[in-house]
Amino acid sequence: MTTKLQLLILVFALATVIGCGGGHQADQVQGPLRVVATTSIVGDLARSIGGDVIELDTLMGAGVDPHLYKPSAGDVRVMASAQMIVYSGLHLEGKMTEVLAEMGTRGVETVEVASCVPAESLLAVEGYDTLHDPHVWFDVGLWQHAAACLRDALIRVDPENANGYQERGDAVITEFADLDVWVRERVAALPENRRILVTAHDAFSYFGRAYGMEVRGLLGVSTAAEAGTGDVQALAAFIADRGLPAVFIESSVPPRYVEALTEAVVARGGDVLIGGSLYSDALGSPGGPAETYVGTVRANVDTIVGALSGAGQ
Amino acid sequence: MDFLGDYTLRIVALGSGVLGAAAGALGCFAYLRRQSLVGDALSHAALPGIALVFLLTGSKAPLPIMIGAALAGWIATLAVRLVVRRSRVPYDSALGMALAVFFGFGLVLLTLIQKRPDAAQAGLESFLFGQAASLLREDVVVMSALGAACLVVLALLWKEFKLLSFDTEFGESLGRPMRRLDGLFTLLLVVAVVIGLRTVGVVLMSAMVVAPAAAARQVTDRLAPMVIIAAAIGVFSGVTGAVLSSVIPHLPTGPTIVLVLSTVVVISLVFAPKRGLLWRWIRLGRLQPAAALDPVLMHLYALSLQHPEEPDHGHGLAVLRTMSPTGADLERVIGDLEARGLVSAVGEGLWAPTPIGRREAERNLDREGEVGS
Amino acid sequence: MEDRGVALEVEDLTVAYSDQPVLWDIDLVVQAGDKMAIVGPNGAGKSTLIKAAMGLVPSVAGEVRVFGRPFAKGRGEIAYVPQRSSLEWDFPTDVLDVVTMGTYGSLGWFRRPGAAERDRARKALDEVTMGAFERRPIAQLSGGQQQRVLLARALVQEAPILMLDEPFQGVDAPTEQAIVAVLDRLSDDGKTVIVVHHDLQTVPEYFDSVLLLNVRAIESGPVGDVFTEENLRLTFGGRVGVLAQLAEAETGH
Repeated sequence: MTTKLQLLILVFALATVIGCGGGHQADQVQGPLRVVATTSIVGDLARSIGGDVIELDTLMGAGVDPHLYKPSAGDVRVMASAQMIVYSGLHLEGKMTEVLAEMGTRGVETVEVASCVPAESLLAVEGYDTLHDPHVWFDVGLWQHAAACLRDALIRVDPENANGYQERGDAVITEFADLDVWVRERVAALPENRRILVTAHDAFSYFGRAYGMEVRGLLGVSTAAEAGTGDVQALAAFIADRGLPAVFIESSVPPRYVEALTEAVVARGGDVLIGGSLYSDALGSPGGPAETYVGTVRANVDTIVGALSGAGQ
Repeated sequence: MDFLGDYTLRIVALGSGVLGAAAGALGCFAYLRRQSLVGDALSHAALPGIALVFLLTGSKAPLPIMIGAALAGWIATLAVRLVVRRSRVPYDSALGMALAVFFGFGLVLLTLIQKRPDAAQAGLESFLFGQAASLLREDVVVMSALGAACLVVLALLWKEFKLLSFDTEFGESLGRPMRRLDGLFTLLLVVAVVIGLRTVGVVLMSAMVVAPAAAARQVTDRLAPMVIIAAAIGVFSGVTGAVLSSVIPHLPTGPTIVLVLSTVVVISLVFAPKRGLLWRWIRLGRLQPAAALDPVLMHLYALSLQHPEEPDHGHGLAVLRTMSPTGADLERVIGDLEARGLVSAVGEGLWAPTPIGRREAERNLDREGEVGS
Repeated sequence: MEDRGVALEVEDLTVAYSDQPVLWDIDLVVQAGDKMAIVGPNGAGKSTLIKAAMGLVPSVAGEVRVFGRPFAKGRGEIAYVPQRSSLEWDFPTDVLDVVTMGTYGSLGWFRRPGAAERDRARKALDEVTMGAFERRPIAQLSGGQQQRVLLARALVQEAPILMLDEPFQGVDAPTEQAIVAVLDRLSDDGKTVIVVHHDLQTVPEYFDSVLLLNVRAIESGPVGDVFTEENLRLTFGGRVGVLAQLAEAETGH
C-alpha cells in the first residue's frame, strides 16, 4: 500500500486505542481511593474529609463557572477511571448532567452532596416547581449536611479507612458550626438598612436567608441566562432607591454586567461603587487565603461587611 | 415610562441601532452580489479570533477583542479565496467549510480556556449569543465610531460599490481596481459584523446582514432607496428589540432584536406591492382559468418557431385574432399571460413568449404528445 | 478605406486556463475605423481574446498595443460591451443609471454623476432608440433592450475603440438593425469596432474585416480576401484541420 494509506490507517488505529483506553471500571479499591470532584468547593470538602488517604482530582479550578463548564474528553476519561465522583448537584453543573448520569451507569459511585440537604430547606427557583437553587453551600449550617453525606459515602466505599473519614468528617462539621456562628455575628453588626446584597447572579439566596440579608442578582440562578435590558433597569432603580453604597462582582462571572449596572445607577443620580469581588461558584486561587471553603466564606463576609458598612454615610 | 430618559435603554438602543444601520446598509451589497452567506461565515469565523486575543493578552477590553475578531474573519476570507482559486470547490461550499472549521476551532479554544481562573470573567461564551444588556459606554463609543466610519466609506465609494455589485468586469475595463475594492468591501463587512458580536452574538449576526436587505429589495427597484430602507429596518429592529427587552422582564435583547427583524422581513415578503406574495396571489386569483390561456400561448409559441434565430420577434394581436377561437377576449388574455410572466411586449403592440412561456408551451406539447403544430 | 493608422495591435498573445491553452500565439492588427468580426466555433477563445486584450484576463505571453502605446486599463481608449448573459439583470436600478455608469471612468473617485453626465447618457440612449425607457427598471427589459442599454453605456465613454461580445445573440430584428446602424455610424466617424460574432451569414454584410479564430489565429484581413470556404473549413472543421496543417508544416507530410 502507499505510504499515505499506511499513515492514515496508523492514525485511525491510534485514535481508536486512545479513545477506548480510558473506559475501565474500578471494581475494587487498590491503593488510595480515586476521587474526582467537580467544583473547587466540593473538591475542598473532599480533601478535608478524605485527607491524604484519597487521590483527588478537581475538574474546575478557581474562577471557573460551573453553570457553563463543558467537560472535555480528558475530563470524561478522568471521571471514568475514578472510583467516586463528588459533585454539588441540583443542576449546578448544568452542562454535565448527562455525563454524570452516564458515569453512574458505568458503576462509578456518584455522590450529589447538595441533595443531602433536607428537602424542606431547599429554596425553589422562581417559576419552577421541581427545580431548586443549587447554591446551598453559602448557608454554612446547611453545608454541614453535605459534609456528613460525603463522610458517610467515603466510609461506605472505602471501609478500610472508615476511622479516618469519621474523625475528619466530624471535625469538619464542628468547624462549620463555628463558622456559621461567626458569620451570623458579623452580618448582625451591619445596620439594618445596609443588609442588602446585590451581585451578578442569584448565588447568595441561601446566604441571605440564613444570615438575614436581602439578596438580589442580575442574572437568574444560572449564569447561562442573558439578562434583558429591563432586568438591568429594574435592578438599577432598586439600588438607587435604597441608596445602596456597594454592589459586588463575582470571581467566576464577567464583571461587565455589574459595571453596566453601576453605570445605570450613576446615571440615575445614585452613588454606588463596586464593593469588591466575591467568590460565588468557585473558591479562590490556590496559595491565597481563599483557597479553602472556610477561607472563602470568611473572605466573602469580610468583603461584604467591609463595603456595606464602611462606605459613605 | 420615560423611554429616552433611561440610561440603560439609551445605551443599548444606540448600540443596537448603530449595528442595524451598518449591517443593513452593507448587507445590501452582499445580498446583490449573491454573497449573503459571507456575513454568516465572517461572524462564525470571528470566534477563534476572540478566544486567541484573550489567550495571548488576557485582555477583555472592547477594542482588542474587536481587532482579534476582525483579523480572524479576514483570514477566513483569504482562506476561502485561496481554496476557490486553487481547487474546483465552488465559492459557497468553501465559505461553508471555512465557517465550520473556524467556528469549530473557536469552540475548541473556548473549552481549553474555560479551565483558566480568569476565563469566566472574560465572558467569552457571551459572544455566542451576545449580551446587549451589558453594553458599557466605552463599547457603544467604539461601535458608533466604527459604524459611522463604515457608512462614510460606503457613501464616498458609492458608485464603485455599485459597479462592484452589478458589473465587476466593466469596472475593471474602466481601470478601477476592482479586486482591491472587493477587499475593501469585505473589510467593511468584517467591521460591521464585529460591531454586532457583543449585541446579538456570533450565531445570530448573519440575520442582521441578510434580512434587512431581503426585506428592502421587496419594496423598491432602485439601489439608493434599497440601502436606506435596509439601514432603517436595521435601526428599527435594533431599537425596538432594546425597548421590548426593557419593558418585558427576562427577555434577552439580542434574540429579541433578531425576532423583530424576522417579523419585518415576513411582513415585507407577504405584503410588499408588486413583489409580495399576497399581491401576486390577488392578481393571479382574478385571472382567467388556465384553460383559456393555453391556446393563445400555443399560437404565439407556434409563430415564434418560425423565427428560431430571433426569440424576441413579436407578433401583433391582429395575427393572433385570426388564429384564436372566436369570442375570446384577446386583450384580456394577453394581459393575463403577461401577468403570469409567460409573454412580454417586445415592441408597439407586438408580443412574444418569454423563456418561461416557451417552457410552458413545450411542456404542453409533451403532455399532448403532439409534434410540431 | 483610408489608412488612419493602427488602432489595435496584438502580438504573440497566449492565454491558458490551468495549463490548457485557450488562445495561442495570436497576432492581430486592426486599422482605425475598421469594423472587424471575430468568428470561430465554440471554445475558440473569442470572448477570451477581447478580454485578454483589455487586461481583464491574465495572459501567459504577448503584448497589446493601442495606437502604438502599450495598453493600460482606464486610459479610456477601449469601451467594452460584455455578453448580456454575464450580468445579473435583477439589480435594483434603471436604464439611465446603467448607461450613466459609462461616465464613471471620467469622474474619478469621489465625484457623483451629475446633470452633465446624465445628459450624455440620454444622448447615448437616443442613439440606440431607447430614449423612452430611461426610468425602466432593468429587471423588466427584454433581451434586445438589454443589449441596447449595454451599447449605450459603451457609447457614453466616447472611446476610439469599441469591443462587443456577441451583441447580436438572441436579439430581435429591430434591435439588430439599430445596433448595425450605430456601428456603421461609429466606423464612419473613424472609430474602430471589434465584434465577437456568431452568425456567419451576416459577416460580409456587416463587417469590413474578419478574424477567423480557433485557439490560433487562422487568418485575418478584409472580408473579401479572408472569408473563403477553405478558411472557414479550417476554422470550423474542428481542431483536426489546424493540427493537420501544423503537422504538414513541421514534418513536410
